[in-house]
Amino acid sequence: MKKEHEHKAKKYGMVIDLDKCTGCGACMVACMAENNVPFRADETDKLLSITWMRVYKLTNAMPFPKTEICYLPRPCMHCEGSHGHSPCVSVCPATATDYSEATGIVSQIYTRCFGCRYCMAACPYHARYFNWWDPVWPEGMEKYLSPNVSPRMRGIVEKCSFCFHRYQLAMEKAHYEGRHGLEEDEYQTSCTQACPAGAITFGDLNNPHHAVYKLKKSENAFRLLERLGTNPKVYYTSSRKWVRQAGDNYLRDEKDNVIDKSKFRN
Amino acid sequence: MDSALIPKGVRRCPLGHFVLFLAVVGAVLLWGVFAMVLCWIKGLNQTNMNDYYGFALWIWADLAVIALGGGAFFTGFLRYIIGKDELKNIINYAVLIGFICYSSALLILAIDIGQPLRGWFIFWHANVHSMLTEVAFCLSCYFAVLTIEYIPLILENRQADKVPFFHNLSHNMHEIMAVFAATGAFLSFFHQGSLGGVTGVLFGRPFGFREGVFIWPWTFFLFTWSAAACGPCFTILVTKITEAVTKKKLVKDNVIELLAKISGWMLLTYFVAKTIDTWYWASVTAPSMGFFLSDFYTGNPLYGWWILVTEIVVCGLVPALILITERGRKNKTSLVVAVVLASIGVSLNRWVMVLQVMAVPVMSFDNWAMYFPSWQEIATTILPVAYGIILIGISHRYLPIFPQEKELNPVD
Amino acid sequence: MKIDRRSFLSFIIGGAAGTALSPLPAKLTDDLSIWTQNWPWTPVPEDGEAIYADSVCTLCPGGCGISVRKIDDRAIKIEGMKGHPVNDGGICILGLSGLQLLYGPTRVKTPLKKTSNGGWKKISWDEAIAEVAENLGKLRSEGQPQALACISGSDQGTVPQLFRRFMTAYGSPNYMCVPSSQDSYSITLKLMQGAQASAGFDIENADFVLSLGSGIIEGWGSPVCMFKANSACEAKKGKVVQIEPRLSNTAAKADQWIPINPGTEGDLALGLAHLIIKDDLYDKDFVGNNTFGFDDWTDDKGKSCQGFRQFVLENYGPEKVAETTGIDADTLTSLAKSFASASNPVAICGRGQGKRPGSIHEFIAVHALNALKGSINRKGGVWAVPEPNYISWAEPETDAVAQKGLQTPRIDGAGTEKYPYTKSLLNRFAEVVGSEGESPVKMLFVSGANPCFTLPDTGAVKAAFENIPLVVSFSSYMDETAKAADLILPNHVFLERYEDVPPPAGVNKNVIGLSKPVVDPQFDTKHAGDAIISVAKALKGSVGSAFAWDSYEACLQETMGDKWDSLNEKGFVVPDTAPACEKTYTTPSGKFEFFAAGYEQVTIEGDEKWYPLILMPYDSMRLSSGFIGNPPFMTKTVEDTVLKGNDIVVEVNPLTVRESSALFVKDGDYAILSTPKGKATVRVHLSEGIMPGIVAMPTGLGHTAYDEYLAGKGTNFNELIGPVEDPASGLDAAWGIRAKLANIAS
Repeated sequence: MKKEHEHKAKKYGMVIDLDKCTGCGACMVACMAENNVPFRADETDKLLSITWMRVYKLTNAMPFPKTEICYLPRPCMHCEGSHGHSPCVSVCPATATDYSEATGIVSQIYTRCFGCRYCMAACPYHARYFNWWDPVWPEGMEKYLSPNVSPRMRGIVEKCSFCFHRYQLAMEKAHYEGRHGLEEDEYQTSCTQACPAGAITFGDLNNPHHAVYKLKKSENAFRLLERLGTNPKVYYTSSRKWVRQAGDNYLRDEKDNVIDKSKFRN
Repeated sequence: MDSALIPKGVRRCPLGHFVLFLAVVGAVLLWGVFAMVLCWIKGLNQTNMNDYYGFALWIWADLAVIALGGGAFFTGFLRYIIGKDELKNIINYAVLIGFICYSSALLILAIDIGQPLRGWFIFWHANVHSMLTEVAFCLSCYFAVLTIEYIPLILENRQADKVPFFHNLSHNMHEIMAVFAATGAFLSFFHQGSLGGVTGVLFGRPFGFREGVFIWPWTFFLFTWSAAACGPCFTILVTKITEAVTKKKLVKDNVIELLAKISGWMLLTYFVAKTIDTWYWASVTAPSMGFFLSDFYTGNPLYGWWILVTEIVVCGLVPALILITERGRKNKTSLVVAVVLASIGVSLNRWVMVLQVMAVPVMSFDNWAMYFPSWQEIATTILPVAYGIILIGISHRYLPIFPQEKELNPVD
Repeated sequence: MKIDRRSFLSFIIGGAAGTALSPLPAKLTDDLSIWTQNWPWTPVPEDGEAIYADSVCTLCPGGCGISVRKIDDRAIKIEGMKGHPVNDGGICILGLSGLQLLYGPTRVKTPLKKTSNGGWKKISWDEAIAEVAENLGKLRSEGQPQALACISGSDQGTVPQLFRRFMTAYGSPNYMCVPSSQDSYSITLKLMQGAQASAGFDIENADFVLSLGSGIIEGWGSPVCMFKANSACEAKKGKVVQIEPRLSNTAAKADQWIPINPGTEGDLALGLAHLIIKDDLYDKDFVGNNTFGFDDWTDDKGKSCQGFRQFVLENYGPEKVAETTGIDADTLTSLAKSFASASNPVAICGRGQGKRPGSIHEFIAVHALNALKGSINRKGGVWAVPEPNYISWAEPETDAVAQKGLQTPRIDGAGTEKYPYTKSLLNRFAEVVGSEGESPVKMLFVSGANPCFTLPDTGAVKAAFENIPLVVSFSSYMDETAKAADLILPNHVFLERYEDVPPPAGVNKNVIGLSKPVVDPQFDTKHAGDAIISVAKALKGSVGSAFAWDSYEACLQETMGDKWDSLNEKGFVVPDTAPACEKTYTTPSGKFEFFAAGYEQVTIEGDEKWYPLILMPYDSMRLSSGFIGNPPFMTKTVEDTVLKGNDIVVEVNPLTVRESSALFVKDGDYAILSTPKGKATVRVHLSEGIMPGIVAMPTGLGHTAYDEYLAGKGTNFNELIGPVEDPASGLDAAWGIRAKLANIAS
């Protein structure tokens, strides 16, 4: 069984338990700190704020006191589309973003991107961010920048990479130790690691030994905008029906029925 | 003073007037250049674009000028391929307008990209799956064709023509122009289409996404079609404006009417196709993604049903009906109304296919995003207009753009 | 050779064509693109050897273990330490942002002295210590050692204790600590259990958590520990019910959210007690064997006193409580049933992050509810966690001046007959010092606290600071208090210093941690422990001899004794002693004591006639509202319904606007928010997640100090509220203030 999977391509993905997520924002900062994400004095215009991981606040739109809130962390979905044709990868004119068949990770090559922003137009999750400004760190603060992730220059697009540099470092280490594969805990994203509520699980969706493999099959699992055929690799679970429904768009008559998610899966 | 450069047998305004005109438009042009330099030096933070509006005014301007510049390829196609010989009397101007539109589009693209110095990566690291790659290649090639079509016109200048080499070159180029026109038409069918494909392939954006054939979504064909229909209308419009400004008749009515008639029928068929497309999208494509048509046109301050009606009926069906009726196109006012509406219609369509696509929330918990361009965006968008006016002014003054001018305006 | 026009033109055209066809343009184009990939103004982080250094975060009383990833001598990322008993790998948003504090622009880089025109002058450490010692000596020679006061962020750990020791040796009783809900808990535990302890909640093992406004997952107590406990409780199908007027994140995550009229939480607890007692659902074993005062009793003088049972049965019937709390009787009944039928229920109070103390009425009511179910000092209940006892220094010898000074009454009135169990009353500080006239405080030390931001009625606090002749701040950052100081003796930040970390707040984890230097001090700063030792030594005499240690590190090492080695190695020790005190009670009766009467609710400030609404603060994990200012990363995560541009956004129910005659606003519009204490321009966010009549304002904004990433953003809630004294403890018990919202023009 194990042997079989060593040869199968990996498909890294996440399962985020929205029942556990508290909206504390630790994942957002864990991501910024890991990936040298810049910041500016005013970040309150969320349409200009680079947050690879962004926590959305959902409400059930019911009046007081029936109101409910659910937080939804949104990293890059690393969409597979059909056969790796994620919405963004297929549109990039300069092959600056790529779908890795080996890991299922959608990469972004900062030095090749020339900033046409077509990928941003293509992404329905708003997971892609443009560097409208030069990244500037206050004097002295550039000391904490990590050499594993290059700071991005102005005029290009960036996004969540599932901390791909961690994968590379883990693979390097495994290689030195003469191993071919990685253990589940050897490669974890920064947000997964930081979440104080333990809401995020990360691993190889193709590997039955990884926790995500089982979690994604939960009857409460759903993905965002599955109906568009983006085939994302980030799953969410919620015990609340309205939250699961908020994951996609439904016509009025569909909404009343129990939604059969498998219908929209490819 | 510059009379030696002015074609023989035509009358031009005094040089002083012309310089004043150049100065006024030039000032606007400089304003645009200033904004452009700002964008290049300081970056795109000079715009009001944001992460929801990665595509905004400039991409609209690009799509719009290319659609409006569609008169060049379609008139060329009609003249050289179909053999509508009368159109030779307007083809020069159509080429000039096309040249202006396409060079403007390239300039805007060079401002719009975040890393202009890496712009050539689109060719070097081309991704064949991307509609934008297709656009870039076809656009550049067609711009080269337009340049080749425009060069003989320059060489026909009185002084240039005196040089035997230029004279012969010009003559020879005219001889083979049909080949270029055919190439241009072919390229144009593609890049007009791929511009339509830019939005049509976005399966993550239910407002823009269209199904289609093979790799081409329906918008691919609709864009080509609408550019072929409305481009010549814009050529007519600019001709009429030029006639009004120069207070001279420059092109004979039969030429204009022929072009108007063809445009009218193109527009009518486009209207039918667009209506079918909209209907299919509204009743099949969008609902399959969980959207009602009303989701796209309600719940925001700008994009209401009016925009759909304006684009398809007011600026589509109405001008089509005017132009296909003889009375409609013979009446000067209704002709102008029709070509204005058609030009607005195609521009509005491009706006909708760029800006509204960005505005519509896709995730159920997302919100409509509105946008208003910054002055730098507006200035850089007006820049090509000023540039176009200046190039038309100079070309008209010194080049024999309108073959019928002499005949229609005999100098005593 | 004659150059005619033709050959010249040919040369130019030919040259241009030749250049164009040469490799030059291609090379230039390529070089330009390479240049854009290496812009000199975009930093390139240097690579080096990667190592992890373990330590403990001291940015809040949570006591989380951290692993700091380093490249050579640079710290590049803070992560949660796996296997640490408090946080086991988890980490909060503030801890993650720690490096922005270390390397941030708000650090005070050298000792500073305020100049006469309000600017700062850099001085050396020797000068700084000498200056402080000189002034202290002067005060002492005038026989006024009690005119020195000290504000410490905490009472626990060696650094606060060194300051306290200094005060004693110097001769001033005026050592004050920043209060929190733990002060109210301590008094409650003292009253009901006789314990000298803090409250530790075992949420993890509870199966029913009744939270009366406590932000269990919003930073209450030890944040990460509480997050983990909450997840663990939910994983075991435990229930959490959140009682508060606003749909906080804790409420949103709870199994049930019950809005309540604010300030009536104590009544709710007693109302639930009524229902539980009436239906005989309480733990008869515990109540019968371990408590006193449940049934009516007779005192020494033979007077019969009403017991808790009678008291609640008479006064807290469901109809009455329903009216006071706004929670209908049916909900009350089912809530009482659920609480009573759970095997390990626990009730918890202390609003939001528990940074503000509360009324003793409320705390003893909640504690009584726990006692009814026997949830005292047991798994899944509330523990009386004894104060750490690892610091056992010999009492300092005091000279005559000190002894005289120590005899004077405390300026804040804590520990007097009226408030026997209260240790300090910082809320009275502004009033005692006053804004004009002679201040009883001539010199003030501030360490680990930012009272000019965190104390209510901040305006008055700042005025009081101005009235003190010499304020010495030991802050690492240029915060509001440092700005108001006359001398700054900057401390190392937590990643540069050794410090013991007392057991985490609010939980029953018996862990002592050690914060270790992860990087070398970045600037010319000095450990506050070393600074105070130096000052003491400079004073010589009995003060100097009370500080025999060579350095803070030596002091710490000696204090920790045999724990030092394992502390240094592992970063924490779990003392062998039982996790909490034995099940003994040191009250007069030797049992857990119920109280029937004698404690009253507090009324918030403001006249309803002029101020029809109630303004309440709310805490958020994304806003650090305490001593530490929000680092840029955290501010970046703040939603635009909390802060928009520089405007603070308050939450209001749409009904509040609809029913108001003075307010016509849409979502996001500006309005004027006024309270008896102040006024602010705010934006209004219409939210269904808040009770009508309430205005909720985020805490942690409105800084006037720090850098461009924080200063000037929003309004400080503390400027709009003043302290309201709890009649039983003297602590600030204001949970809100009456307020008015009006359109800008009116």
